[in-house]
Amino acid sequence: MKVLLVDDEEKFVRMLARRLDLRGIQAECVYTGAEALSLVEKGEHFDVAVLDVKMPGLGGIDLRRKMGEIDPQMKFVFVTGHGSDIDYKIGANEAAFYLPKPLNIDELIKALGKVTGVSPEDTDSQH
Amino acid sequence: MTQSRHRFLGSIWPRFQQEDNGHLNQYYTFQDYRQTWGVAIFILMTTALLPLIVMTFTYYGLMETSIDTESLLRTERLASNTRRAVTFFLEERLAALSFTAREMGYDQLADPERLSEALRNLKLGFGGVTDLGVIADNGAQVAYAGPFNLEGKDYSSQPWFMECRRHGACVSETFSGYRDIPHIVVAVKSVRADGQFFILRATIETERLIQALKSYKVGHHTDIFLTNREGLFQTPSQFYAGESSNLNIPVPSYSDRTQALLSTDRNGQPIVVSYAFINTNIVPTPFILMVVKQKVGMMKVWLDLRTNINWFFGVSAVIIAIVIILTSTFMVNKIFQADRQKAETMALAEQNCQLASVGQLAAGVAHEINNPLALINETAGYVKDLFLIKKQYKEDPELVEHFDSIIEAVNRCGAITGQLLGFARRFDVHTQPINLKDLVSDVLNFHKKEAEYRDIAIHLDIPEDLPLIETDRGKLQQIVLNLVNNAFQAIDDGCCLDIQAETDGTDKVRLAIGDNGCGITKEHLKKVFEPFFTTKKEGKGTGLGLSITYGLVKKLHGDITVQSKPGEGTTFTITLPIQPQKEMS
Repeated sequence: MKVLLVDDEEKFVRMLARRLDLRGIQAECVYTGAEALSLVEKGEHFDVAVLDVKMPGLGGIDLRRKMGEIDPQMKFVFVTGHGSDIDYKIGANEAAFYLPKPLNIDELIKALGKVTGVSPEDTDSQH
Repeated sequence: MTQSRHRFLGSIWPRFQQEDNGHLNQYYTFQDYRQTWGVAIFILMTTALLPLIVMTFTYYGLMETSIDTESLLRTERLASNTRRAVTFFLEERLAALSFTAREMGYDQLADPERLSEALRNLKLGFGGVTDLGVIADNGAQVAYAGPFNLEGKDYSSQPWFMECRRHGACVSETFSGYRDIPHIVVAVKSVRADGQFFILRATIETERLIQALKSYKVGHHTDIFLTNREGLFQTPSQFYAGESSNLNIPVPSYSDRTQALLSTDRNGQPIVVSYAFINTNIVPTPFILMVVKQKVGMMKVWLDLRTNINWFFGVSAVIIAIVIILTSTFMVNKIFQADRQKAETMALAEQNCQLASVGQLAAGVAHEINNPLALINETAGYVKDLFLIKKQYKEDPELVEHFDSIIEAVNRCGAITGQLLGFARRFDVHTQPINLKDLVSDVLNFHKKEAEYRDIAIHLDIPEDLPLIETDRGKLQQIVLNLVNNAFQAIDDGCCLDIQAETDGTDKVRLAIGDNGCGITKEHLKKVFEPFFTTKKEGKGTGLGLSITYGLVKKLHGDITVQSKPGEGTTFTITLPIQPQKEMS
């Protein structure tokens, strides 16, 4: 499973990537929406993109639409520090999962598994 | 009875009570409603009554002018007619004497028998002739016919004799003479055969003249009389009789024609006077004919009409004034109430605005905290992951425990910021299924610490199987928070708070929040949901908490009631529909 992490909080994304890596999930970090978009435009394929909703410049919602147009196979999980769990569920039309910050790593992996249809245990070979 | 009286007085003299004690002053459009009310009444009264007053007085003025003109004209006509009658009366007698003197001549008239015959004829012809005398040019009466023996009497010093000698005829003023009967002397001069003159004199009773004058009188308010040129009455006056023999009004200056003028007599009565100097075609007389009409009498019809008009005007003015006052009071009161409502709404809006900005601030802070929290979480998680990989650390339960406590602390912080954000969003409108128990627990979490410090026991009795309510989360959270806050402020340390919920029928849920605190007195109980009502010290409470709560419950199509007994406690009960009704705004 190849995951793209997009968040303007650089340290946070790097930590998250390392933790996912430890769990056998390959994750690439980018820190702006534009960067992420250019990666996809170059033809690189990711199974899932984990997007921060609020970012300077290109935000998560717009980014998801643009990337979805380029690569219709790509799945999305949203992450944001703005709001409680229930609030995301209210407007949950944009993506399958909204997760509040601070993240629970197990929930993230569960969500990744669900959107891609791959069981996390399948990729957990290194752990 | 007293209440209706009170209401009536209120509609005449409104009080414009500003029960908020100046709280809302800055939001009122008009500051001084008493003044606005006064100005409104003044303007309406002026525009309604001023034209009426001006028209009425103009009408009175015109009417009086026309009445004056009319009465002057009528009085003058009457005087003119009477003057003709009096002149004719005198001319007739002068002509008769002239005729007798020429016809009979001095010689015959000097014969007492013939003179008596002439007197008889004159009496037959005119009546009222008392006697007849022939006076020689030296003034001695040579012959006399009549009831007195006046033969030989010398008249040479009498004014009428001298006037007659000068003018050829004369009419004397009235005098009473020997018999105390008012009469006048009429005399004509004639020439004897020897060229000397003689005078034929007749005494005429004035009674006939008075009767003639009387016949012209119309109504009680007309007086017709004769005066001499000094103003002495020559015939009796109805108005001025007995007061003095002098005329009560100034003697008019001489005029050939009949004159009329407006005047006041010495009693201060307004009168119309018309006068004419009586001149016969033979000789001028000392008489002035006076016709006096009292204005009061002539204007009686008009004055009666004016009294009626005045009454009508007065009553109309009073009715107009009452209607204006009632209307103004009603309208200004309506404006005042609308303004007060506006002021209250604006105050509430401002309060809400403040709450909203506090909410935004909280949301901003929560968001800012969430990012570093996420970093701590991931870093701690990563470090924990690294340690768990190595076998020597994996066996150390204390180490894992430390990491878990960091992660747990982060999760607690995350829960708090989540709640804060939840509160900040209470201004958005979302209908969503709510688990009442979770929501109340969320709210109680905010008070957990305070309850512990103050040793307040909280009994939460909400059944697990209570149906989910479709409603607005933020609003319901605020309602519960407000009521719990309120209860915490009302109870002493060591008291308890009871929160119960149950279904009410099939479509409603009832939530009761009760305390055993100080309670609310009966008169305060009626006002607890009114805006700006507070029993707290000034500056301590806004008095808006429960009114906002009330508004929110109503917005959720629910109902809120309160039961309280002073000293025993208070219970607020909210009833909410399980399914949303219509559209919430």
